[in-house]
Amino acid sequence: MKLTRRNFLAWAGLGAVGAVACEGFGIREGELNIQSPVQLPEDLVRGKDNWYASLCRTCPSCEGIVIRVMEGRAKMIQGNPFYPTNQGKIHARCESGLQSLYHPDRISSPMQRSGARSSAQFLPISWQPNGMDLLQTALQERGRSSVMITEPLRGHMSLLASRFSSAIGGEHLGFESIDNNTYRAAVKSVYGQDSMPDFDLENSQFILSFGADFLSTWVSPTRFNRGYGEFRQGEHRKRGMFYQIDSRFSMTAANADKWLPIKPGWEGHLALSLAQVIIAEGLQAPGVDVASLTGGDNLDNFRPELIVEKAGLTAEMTDGNAVEFVKNLARSFATSRPAVAIGGGSAGASSNGLFNLEAIYALNYLVGSVGEEGGVKLNPGSPWTDVPSSSKVGSLEDWTRITEQIRSGQTNLLLLHGADPVHGLPDSLHLRNAIEQADDLMIVSFSPFLDDTSAMADLILPDRVSLEDWGDDISEPGPGFQMVGFQQPVVNPLGDLDPLSFPDVLLTMAQELGKESQLPWSNFKNMLREGSDALFELNRGSIEASSAEEFWNNLLKRGGWWDENSTGSKYVQPTAGLLKSIAGKASDPDFSGIGMDTDSFYLVPFAHNTLMDGYNSHLPWLQSAPDPLSTVTWQTWVEVNDQTADRLELKEGDILRIESSKDFIKAVVYPTPAAPPDVMSVPFGQGRKHGSDYATDRSSNESSNVMDILETTQVEGTGSLAWAGTRVKVSKTGESVSISKLEGDARAVEIGLTPAEDIIKTIAPENA
Amino acid sequence: MVTNRVDHKWGMVVDLDRCTGCQACVVACHAENNIPINTKDYFQQRRAYEWIRIERYWEGEFPNVKAKFIPILCQHCENAPCEPVCPVYATYHNDEGLNVQVYNRCIGTRYCSVNCPYSARMFNYWEPNWPDSLRNQLNPDVTVRTRGIMEKCTFCVQRLRRGEVNVERRGIEPLTGEPITGERKLNYRQMKEGNFLPACVQSCPTNALQFSDQHDETGPVKEYFDEANEQIETRHHGGHVDEDHTRVYRLFEEVGAKPNLVYLKKVEAFPLDKA
Repeated sequence: MKLTRRNFLAWAGLGAVGAVACEGFGIREGELNIQSPVQLPEDLVRGKDNWYASLCRTCPSCEGIVIRVMEGRAKMIQGNPFYPTNQGKIHARCESGLQSLYHPDRISSPMQRSGARSSAQFLPISWQPNGMDLLQTALQERGRSSVMITEPLRGHMSLLASRFSSAIGGEHLGFESIDNNTYRAAVKSVYGQDSMPDFDLENSQFILSFGADFLSTWVSPTRFNRGYGEFRQGEHRKRGMFYQIDSRFSMTAANADKWLPIKPGWEGHLALSLAQVIIAEGLQAPGVDVASLTGGDNLDNFRPELIVEKAGLTAEMTDGNAVEFVKNLARSFATSRPAVAIGGGSAGASSNGLFNLEAIYALNYLVGSVGEEGGVKLNPGSPWTDVPSSSKVGSLEDWTRITEQIRSGQTNLLLLHGADPVHGLPDSLHLRNAIEQADDLMIVSFSPFLDDTSAMADLILPDRVSLEDWGDDISEPGPGFQMVGFQQPVVNPLGDLDPLSFPDVLLTMAQELGKESQLPWSNFKNMLREGSDALFELNRGSIEASSAEEFWNNLLKRGGWWDENSTGSKYVQPTAGLLKSIAGKASDPDFSGIGMDTDSFYLVPFAHNTLMDGYNSHLPWLQSAPDPLSTVTWQTWVEVNDQTADRLELKEGDILRIESSKDFIKAVVYPTPAAPPDVMSVPFGQGRKHGSDYATDRSSNESSNVMDILETTQVEGTGSLAWAGTRVKVSKTGESVSISKLEGDARAVEIGLTPAEDIIKTIAPENA
Repeated sequence: MVTNRVDHKWGMVVDLDRCTGCQACVVACHAENNIPINTKDYFQQRRAYEWIRIERYWEGEFPNVKAKFIPILCQHCENAPCEPVCPVYATYHNDEGLNVQVYNRCIGTRYCSVNCPYSARMFNYWEPNWPDSLRNQLNPDVTVRTRGIMEKCTFCVQRLRRGEVNVERRGIEPLTGEPITGERKLNYRQMKEGNFLPACVQSCPTNALQFSDQHDETGPVKEYFDEANEQIETRHHGGHVDEDHTRVYRLFEEVGAKPNLVYLKKVEAFPLDKA
């Protein structure tokens, strides 16, 4: 078209009308700007997603989760907002359940050993007839001398494992390399309770924690984190005060108002010292019968003057006067009600760990916080009469016995599920050696992943992972009232995988072996369904339904059942003379081995924030999640005080040889201002020799297992491993590596060059 | 297609007194946003991908030592220094307060990264790589970014869109699936119930991270943004902000980027003797 003056004016006019019309039609100015395709609703993926409630199994605390499933694939894990313990929140570990599900190194089908015991060579076999037949024969021939080792079990799985073991004449033991047996024993002896208690941090005004890394790895960190958030900045309350007494600067210590670096093993003495001040100054809570509690012993042997030096409390770390500091701490603790004392972790892992924890937990009686809001909330037992809330977890004493039984041939069948004792027990126990040398030992592993113990198995029958399987859990610690979580399969295993559910295999075997009278269920789902029907019959709790079927459906939708009216004891009468009896057990921590030479150090190992004791070391998200303090990933590091490092001429990335009387390991040096000068700290969790590349593809310089050098000292009274009871010598190797850490990663502007207070601004409590 | 959307202005509040440095947000972000696995090499080369990271600062020397944590992510600045330097308009500010990255427009000059005062932008130095089976986990709502382009926190824009589509366009209550009878504007309750909050916020076990529309009266961030904006106004008019009596601050306020993130100061009962 020829452009004439008339045409030009016509088009210009039309354009103007069009522009006005566009405005009039409601297209806002902003919409005419450049639009990103990520913004448009039309670009949302079409398809229906479903959210299923289930349970997380990446650590023993077992949070309630919801899983987003789209087109048959699990896509995201989040906290179940209804679940009473975690209330919609999760830990870093929970998310990685997805990586467990879709892990490239999952064992795809049953396998039989084809090489020497430690060669980790296997040939695939079928489930029927080979896998199941081999298992049945093994159970028939060796069941009476079998030991089933599983992860710590709760609920119906615990019932099934123990009944199965007793039906075939064997033994069942739960396995945890850093077990809670000492903590359980202390709770039993001080509060008379079989279940772990809850701590009502949300309503507490003062937290006094000894050694428990409760914000990171100890017992139920997600629950405790939730309470901690409210403790700090909850609405309608005064900000709480928090002291951490710990021989290592843990993540929990980093969040305390004051960290007191105590010598390992002296926590109980200090706790009794605080008790002595409270009693001497009459600061106990109203109504506390001190005379009965002390049994006439006024704890004079634990006066701060007599304790502070032994506990390593110097003037420098206590504002100039250690004795006054302890007295003031006792006064603050006793007068800031409600207050709660917590003990665990390294405090319970010395030879005198049971004494330490008993002394710590007895403090709660003095300040009147047992069974009270803001204090120790006691938990009721299982809602089912025949289902135990937890199974027995073996102590070092048990594992020593079983190692001997393997060596002597008394045990000739090991059934393994969710446990890797070869990696998770001190090397000096020589379990690996006992297995290698046993002539007539058969090991059957039900692990979906290869680990150090499964690598020595004769038969591997891969289990489903938690997102593919049924299950339940009696939360421990519970939230102060009865509750049960339910786990349901949310996806099917991928096509190239052929796992079978471990509990279903056990039930099938029970049928084949004619043990229906003890285990009458055809599959685990039916067993759980029976448990659901029993809850329905109780006619109480969170699920409303008119029929058992409706109850079951609602139960699965909600992720569990709980009854807020069925609480634990509100008050527990302490046994007469409790403090006197605890004081009578006081002993110094035992550091035999290389002894207390001045050129040796305390070794304070700790559970890794995401890998825990190594249970999750095959999961790449958890390997790559920076440690909160060192920010190190993928490697085994040793925390060395920066001035000690200078003295020993060590720099970051140097490889340090750490030697006990048992063996040595190597670790990457991370100098830190927060490590006590006489302490070396190394995380558990790394140093696997078999299994996924994510766990094993580093050299022994970068990835080592601190269990290899621990002394086999036991906690008196429980027989548990005193994992904080080792001393070590260190030496330079002359080697060094590039440390794999997040610290310093920020490019362009190195934020760390600015003083911390400019980035992390602070304010005084009275002005907040 | 152009749609009429409801006005929003999203904002996040980070309470440093609640943050414990636990890394739950970091892993949740990786899962939600298809962030490649950070291998050992990535960390050693200082090229790890973390849309949200927890920085840890040491203060003092043993035994009087402290560690402080701060989550750092894209601050979604109003006056974003990264935006004007992009030669291809791959990063820009949308009308909901988000700093948005258009992946298929980015040509990888990395000027934006250089200009970001918070080092919140990540460059894809490598082709993203997962073993085949792990690809099953990838979030279908989020693009996997190729090598050579820039990426960063989006405030989980895919979740916000999902919330807006469900609540504002379809008028469905997220939890019950019932039709909405009143106002169709995505609010804080609906975001919580429908899993529309950013993944980091949803996971944070101490509730140190909070997120909602800055104007949402029912949300947890409005009062803090009101105060933060008032601080800017006061300073702009030469007034004095009494910093000793407020917990509200913005990171690197002096840069003037006006982030849509507000931090709440850590409360310190026993400050170290700086002398």
